[in-house]
Amino acid sequence: MKLIKFRVIFLLTLALCAGQANAQTMALTLQDLSDFKPQAGNWLIVGDVTMNPDVDIHEKAEVSLTEETKKGKKAKITTPPAMPQAVTFTSGTGILLNMNDDKKKDQLISAFEHGDIEFELEVMLPKGSNSGIYLQGRYEVQLFDSWGVKNPTYSDIGGIYRNWESEPGKIYMGKAPLSNPAKAPGLWQKMKISFQAPKFDKAGNKIENARFNYVDLNGVRIHENVEVPLPTGGPIENNEKALGPLMIQGDHGPVAFRNIKYTLMKSVEVSLSNITYQTWYGNYKIISDYSGLKPSASAQVSELTCEVLENEDGFGSRYQGTISVSEDSNYKFTLAYTGGARLIINNQQLTNYQSADGWWRTDEATIELKAGSYPFEIYNYKNASWLPPRLGLFVQTGSLLKPLHAFNSFPPDDQPVAPILINPGNEPRMLRAFLDFKGDNKQRLTHTIGVGDPSGINYVYDLKAGNLVCVWRGDFVDATPMWHDRGDGSFKPMGATQYLFNNQPLAFFTSSTTSFPLITRDAEIKEGEYLGKGYEVEEATGRPIFKYTYQGIDVEDKIYPDQSSLTHEVTIKNRGTKSGLYYKVAEGKAIQQMPNGTYAVDDKSYYIRVKGVTPLVRENAGKQELIVPVEGSFSYSIIW
Amino acid sequence: MKTDLKAMKNIFAIAITLSLITSIHASSQLNAPKEEDYYKILTLPTPEGILLEVGGVATLPDGRIAVCTRRGDVWIVENPSMEKGTSPRYTLFASGLHEALGLAYKDGALYTAQRGELTKLMDKNGDGKADVYETVYAWPLSGYYHEYSFGPKIAPDGSFFVTGNVAFGDEEWWRGESRVPWRGWTMKIHPDGTMEPWATGMRSPCGLGMIDGEFFYDDNQGDWQGSGGIFHLTKGSFTGHPAGLKWTGRDNSPVKISTEQLYSKVDPRQTKIDGQYMKPENIADEKNPTLLYSLKNDFPEARVPAVWLPHGVLGISNSEIIRDETAGKFGPFTGQIFVGDQGQSKIMRVVMEKVKGEFQGVAFDFKSGFQSGVLRMNWGHDGSLYAGLTNRGWGSAGTTTAGLQRLIWTGKVPMEMKIVSARPDGFEIEFTQAVDRKTAEDLDSYFGRSYIYKYHPVYGSPTVNEEKLTIKGVKVSDDGFRVRVVVDNLRQYYLHEIIATGIKSKEGLPVLHNTAYYTLNNIPDGDKLPISELRTKRSSATVKPAAVKPSVKTNPSSKSFTYAEIEPLLVKNTCTACHQVNKRQVGPAFSDIAKRKYSNERIVQLIYNPEPKNWPEHETPMAPMPQVPKDEALKIAGWINSLRAPAP
Repeated sequence: MKLIKFRVIFLLTLALCAGQANAQTMALTLQDLSDFKPQAGNWLIVGDVTMNPDVDIHEKAEVSLTEETKKGKKAKITTPPAMPQAVTFTSGTGILLNMNDDKKKDQLISAFEHGDIEFELEVMLPKGSNSGIYLQGRYEVQLFDSWGVKNPTYSDIGGIYRNWESEPGKIYMGKAPLSNPAKAPGLWQKMKISFQAPKFDKAGNKIENARFNYVDLNGVRIHENVEVPLPTGGPIENNEKALGPLMIQGDHGPVAFRNIKYTLMKSVEVSLSNITYQTWYGNYKIISDYSGLKPSASAQVSELTCEVLENEDGFGSRYQGTISVSEDSNYKFTLAYTGGARLIINNQQLTNYQSADGWWRTDEATIELKAGSYPFEIYNYKNASWLPPRLGLFVQTGSLLKPLHAFNSFPPDDQPVAPILINPGNEPRMLRAFLDFKGDNKQRLTHTIGVGDPSGINYVYDLKAGNLVCVWRGDFVDATPMWHDRGDGSFKPMGATQYLFNNQPLAFFTSSTTSFPLITRDAEIKEGEYLGKGYEVEEATGRPIFKYTYQGIDVEDKIYPDQSSLTHEVTIKNRGTKSGLYYKVAEGKAIQQMPNGTYAVDDKSYYIRVKGVTPLVRENAGKQELIVPVEGSFSYSIIW
Repeated sequence: MKTDLKAMKNIFAIAITLSLITSIHASSQLNAPKEEDYYKILTLPTPEGILLEVGGVATLPDGRIAVCTRRGDVWIVENPSMEKGTSPRYTLFASGLHEALGLAYKDGALYTAQRGELTKLMDKNGDGKADVYETVYAWPLSGYYHEYSFGPKIAPDGSFFVTGNVAFGDEEWWRGESRVPWRGWTMKIHPDGTMEPWATGMRSPCGLGMIDGEFFYDDNQGDWQGSGGIFHLTKGSFTGHPAGLKWTGRDNSPVKISTEQLYSKVDPRQTKIDGQYMKPENIADEKNPTLLYSLKNDFPEARVPAVWLPHGVLGISNSEIIRDETAGKFGPFTGQIFVGDQGQSKIMRVVMEKVKGEFQGVAFDFKSGFQSGVLRMNWGHDGSLYAGLTNRGWGSAGTTTAGLQRLIWTGKVPMEMKIVSARPDGFEIEFTQAVDRKTAEDLDSYFGRSYIYKYHPVYGSPTVNEEKLTIKGVKVSDDGFRVRVVVDNLRQYYLHEIIATGIKSKEGLPVLHNTAYYTLNNIPDGDKLPISELRTKRSSATVKPAAVKPSVKTNPSSKSFTYAEIEPLLVKNTCTACHQVNKRQVGPAFSDIAKRKYSNERIVQLIYNPEPKNWPEHETPMAPMPQVPKDEALKIAGWINSLRAPAP
């Protein structure tokens, strides 16, 4: 029972780790359009692109035209005639942009064809726009400005689109994403797809449907292990094949892409033969404790399996045999086991972990092999009575890991953990837990509280720094890591989480290069410095109001959803007269002001709108910071 | 991450070596008095959907009971005593706390230790729900799962005692460490929000107690902690676990021992083989192992437990310490101390006395059978003891994961050793009922041993330096309530186990819990009883040898032991901690093991190297028990196999 949780983690690892073997990851450099087939000219390579989040591509709005005029048009900005108000760009390379009009509105088709593929990209859509990515030119993942949509359908971003067939047996109704992690128009959104092509027998009959192993949008899994039985609407050809090009829809509105990387996954044939084993019994700390001794048993077996062991613990083992591969390629192997283990193929040591009590380990290694047969050798030993013996050897083929061992030598998990998911009811839900900042355990925050709002706009606040740490939309938190079994004290936000920054946001500057204080985990309360006072629950709203003091100043933080944004009101009392008090509202790689007055932060990851004061952008420690000089109370909103 | 979990697992495995002796007694003797004849467990029903993984229990001035939970809620239970049979009512007072593991009421507010701070909860608008969650004091954490914080207990000066668990190493996942200031410490937090580091040496200080204005805590068996025990914690105490010494260089540290100074006296055994740290294991037959009390020679801060709670016998994961302040409503033990245990889901009873200025005393089993691990306790206004339960992540003898139960006195006085106190030449036992003079004056009615635990970096310790008590004679008081037991070989600092098996009350009742565990930190000065006043007769000397069931001694391989004959071996080797004869407990019933038809030799092998996969339906894997002597293991194996019904 105790082992279950960790086995789940292991299995996820297996599912995620496909990617490197039998293929190379390629990047589309987007220096030119040579990776694509010729098109009408609506697809451009550009240097930067800005999409005004307030302007719908369907409106010929005068508002934004006026604004454009007011600000003055920079020489290098060219404005395509169709929708000048929503999208502007600069010349250069690195970004693929579609600017279709009535005449030029071709789909974009990749020069390469693919079967099993994994790829990731960043996409930006202006308000109201629509596009799509067709795997093999046939299976579309929808791209759409779905910002703020509560109940997404197949036609929202990330949806697997439907087709429009009417003949029985050919109808496919599409599939909605599991949730809607969409960002606001004009922001870069990350998408990652693992796709398995349909499989055919020698006669050309389809024997396996096309399948999305997974689709992630902004770090949130929105499809997992979903077959697509038929082509979706608008395919390049209305049939199914082993190979096809990537196709991007270009006739429904502007869309931009960057950082496109893909890996073509090749299927390979790998098999084991002539398998023998030797076993020893005793408490061994390292492999050489037993490998030189006379084995207690040895024999030939038909499959690689640790079921040959007579004792469940206190054993050493060695398996030998022949491994045969079908073609010249890189082969990625995964050795999964309890205790310690070593994998040797073609006399090359690929993995070596020597510990008698290794906890459900998975070691991976890649080896280049030419078609043919090679010797292999596996050592496995264990002296940890709380772990059952387990030994599995997997090889990656296509986008899957294929087991080379007997089923019961490493059976799949059959007792998964029921998740503990927390959502607010009619009132805001507060819950304290550790939070791994940016998902990184090394940056774990220890005094954090999550606040889930019935509106579906959620955040985490750090009570040790008085800092708004991250925001997300959708479901609240997964408390399984904290409340299953002993737990580890942490929860996970359930939506696409926009992390902001991690330090104390209020500080007196002694110079323009003063950094905001970083609150380390070992930091204790210091006289006069930040002192958290906890929070009070506001009677009317049920929302917390956080309180702290800093150098004699009393601060109250009120954070609440405000339409599609989150507003943070900072109330300052006893400001005093000491000069140089600043508040950081954002930091990132690049901060730029948008046509609508907001600031796009961290290379267009989210927007900040500051009210009541004029913020400054400053360069500090290789980052840009958006800071506010503090003379009294102020507020700002985060839009993402 | 993986190594942490591994640590948890292993620690868990080893931690579970427990005991439910009393219920075995009950099952082996029909009509014998049972615990439930005197103290009855009643369950408070909880509405569906509420999970009471209790971390703290506080009694409110109006008789309601407040409980906080590991899921971060504070529930207030109205009508907890279920007057006239109506169900208790639950109101959610607060929520969203970070694994709150303690709750106390003071001046209109509830106080709780979350993982990272002491929090004051107040209801300002009077709607029965907290609207203020005020940070009284926040301490650092590294974010490691094991960094639980416990408390508070409120001191007479209005300050709050809070304790903090250690984390464990990354590679050395077995080694407790203090990654940030004051982990492995007891903190005294003042109402003005300042913190006074109080004492260190804590490893897993789950149980806190405030008794007569003095602060006590109990630790759990683990690395450097040979067994659980209750420490009296004066300012500047060091109770053995070295992790917290990392911070003794600070100006405000009341403990001055450095890690290096300690390690110069006792080897931390941080050794590497092939570049990897090796987990220290118990050294069997170790000559002159280091004992905790020896630290007292070198370090004035060093403390030994006032009362050892022998691991596997009186709990495996000790918890709340609470004194009976019911003025008799809870029975005959007014003023005595009760200690909970999570793993064994039971409550022990403790009586302390001060000898030569230091606390020491006796512990007894008291009441087992709670539905989950007993973590927290408090007194209801009805005089019953409310027990807050949880076992999540650790497992327990009680098979549910959570709950709230209360223990209520039935009004009958059990035949018990009420108090055992030290005398210059032995002990005085005071009984709750007058003894039958014949049995009490028979030296065969008593036996005992003394032993102690190692102080080493290994997880837990076997009992060592064991010696039989030489009982020279007894003197029964005129009223029959007291017996002086004169022992020849008292040893300072050792745990003295006195088993009063043969004693009967005047009414003929045996002692309900017949074993006293007395920690003799100091032997009182004073006059010894003159030998002339002692009774020294043994009934065995006058009875024919045939009547004393000689089979145990004369025929060790025999498979025909009775339970009564094998029980001492099962108890001594802590088998009964997890196994009962016919009932599944933490481990399978002995009778179920018998059904597997293992050979005796195979059972011995499994005692030394258990194969938990043989029992997939049991959550807790058995720890290897290499310390069980082979001849005893063989006897136990033979007895287990004798439980199998003969083949038809």
